[in-house]
Amino acid sequence: MIPYQGLLFFILLILLLLPVAYFGLRGKKLRVLGAVFTALMLLAAFDSPKALVTLAIFWLWQSSLCFGYLAFRKRCQKRWLLWLFVLASLMPLILVKLSALVPPLRFFSLLGVSYMSFRAVQVLIEIYDGRIKELNVLDFGYFLLFFPSVSSGPIDRYRRFVADVHAERSREEYRAMLQTGVWKMMTGALYNFVFANLIWQFWLAKLPEHGFLATWSYLYGYTFYMFFNFAGYSRMAIGTAYVLGIKLPENFDRPFLACDMKEFWSRWHISLSTWLRDYVYTRFCMTALRGKWFRSQRTSAYLGYILTMTLMGLWHGLTPAYLVYGLYHGLLMSANEVLDTRYKGMKKLKKLPVPRAMMCLVTFHLFGFGLLIFSGRLF
Amino acid sequence: MIEKIIAILNEITGADAGEIQPDTELFAEGILDSFGLVQLLVALEDQGCTLDAAELDRDAISTPEKLAALAEQAG
Repeated sequence: MIPYQGLLFFILLILLLLPVAYFGLRGKKLRVLGAVFTALMLLAAFDSPKALVTLAIFWLWQSSLCFGYLAFRKRCQKRWLLWLFVLASLMPLILVKLSALVPPLRFFSLLGVSYMSFRAVQVLIEIYDGRIKELNVLDFGYFLLFFPSVSSGPIDRYRRFVADVHAERSREEYRAMLQTGVWKMMTGALYNFVFANLIWQFWLAKLPEHGFLATWSYLYGYTFYMFFNFAGYSRMAIGTAYVLGIKLPENFDRPFLACDMKEFWSRWHISLSTWLRDYVYTRFCMTALRGKWFRSQRTSAYLGYILTMTLMGLWHGLTPAYLVYGLYHGLLMSANEVLDTRYKGMKKLKKLPVPRAMMCLVTFHLFGFGLLIFSGRLF
Repeated sequence: MIEKIIAILNEITGADAGEIQPDTELFAEGILDSFGLVQLLVALEDQGCTLDAAELDRDAISTPEKLAALAEQAG
């Protein structure tokens, strides 16, 4: 059973959410019920013995690493040890991504490995920072395997998640969350099953595979399709989490109103870009600036963008299309930085309605072209 | 502290004199971005005041006066 697809999934989802909502409305804490919900939904989604065993091994692997690192961290605070644990934590993800290129590795596949790996790595980094000082087996397992966002995000943070899990909520507070959750689930379904499907059936599926005009039309259709598809999944995941008493972070904020690429990435797949900003970009730039690696401070900003966005591209898969997609966005972000730095008038231009509208249009096309690379249609 | 922070921000962002006031919304006004924040934190570190980048909520550091309050706490 694939998450958020098919009638059976939604029937099961609603049946299992009903008792959660009932107890939530009676003012009960939802920690254990939520964990049981996640366990049952995982059993339904990982519906073969092989898939379940792989998930169990993954859980044990990430738990051993995070609890193990927490113990080691008290004795050794060297950064190389963190790198070692992060690399070990990423091994399942690397195996899955490599299996697309190396057929013998195809024995290993795991639904949600990308998003679950982000969760585990974030815990390791925050243990290194000294911001996570203790872990609880149930909270960690619940966070790592949290079902609503397992297949397509948004990416939550451990301490925020645990605070929600243990929050005391009044009946009124929970009722408001439930209403928001149901609304988000319904609008998410509308985005995904109506808008994205219509675009696919009546636009993209009817386009010829080759030709300049067809590709040009594909750019628009695919960009809107990706938005409604992805934002739809995110809204359904956030809505489901709200019913469980967890305020998952938002993932989209009217991205096509962005007037440059930096603003765009603060509105599209927000939880991924803020994760990469906090745990890759900022750390790289801080280290480069502290160590005076480059003559010009700006060089670290440009390289930071290229590094971060290339990683983002490769996270989608180890194929040339994803590599080029990541590099393309790294270069766009760097070009954005150059324009902002060199031309002071840009800031004022962005506030004027007509120039801003034109910049939004350019940004939309730049992103659309990126998705054309991402789609693999170009090469 | 607030004068020191505004002076660093002016240097980093190349803002016009008087553009950055104690209550200026730095992110909403497009004055500070992720890299600008990194530059600010490193400049503060050089002056003996360490703020944890990953711990900073953008709402908590959205204006120079909020930043100054945090910096004073950090010592």
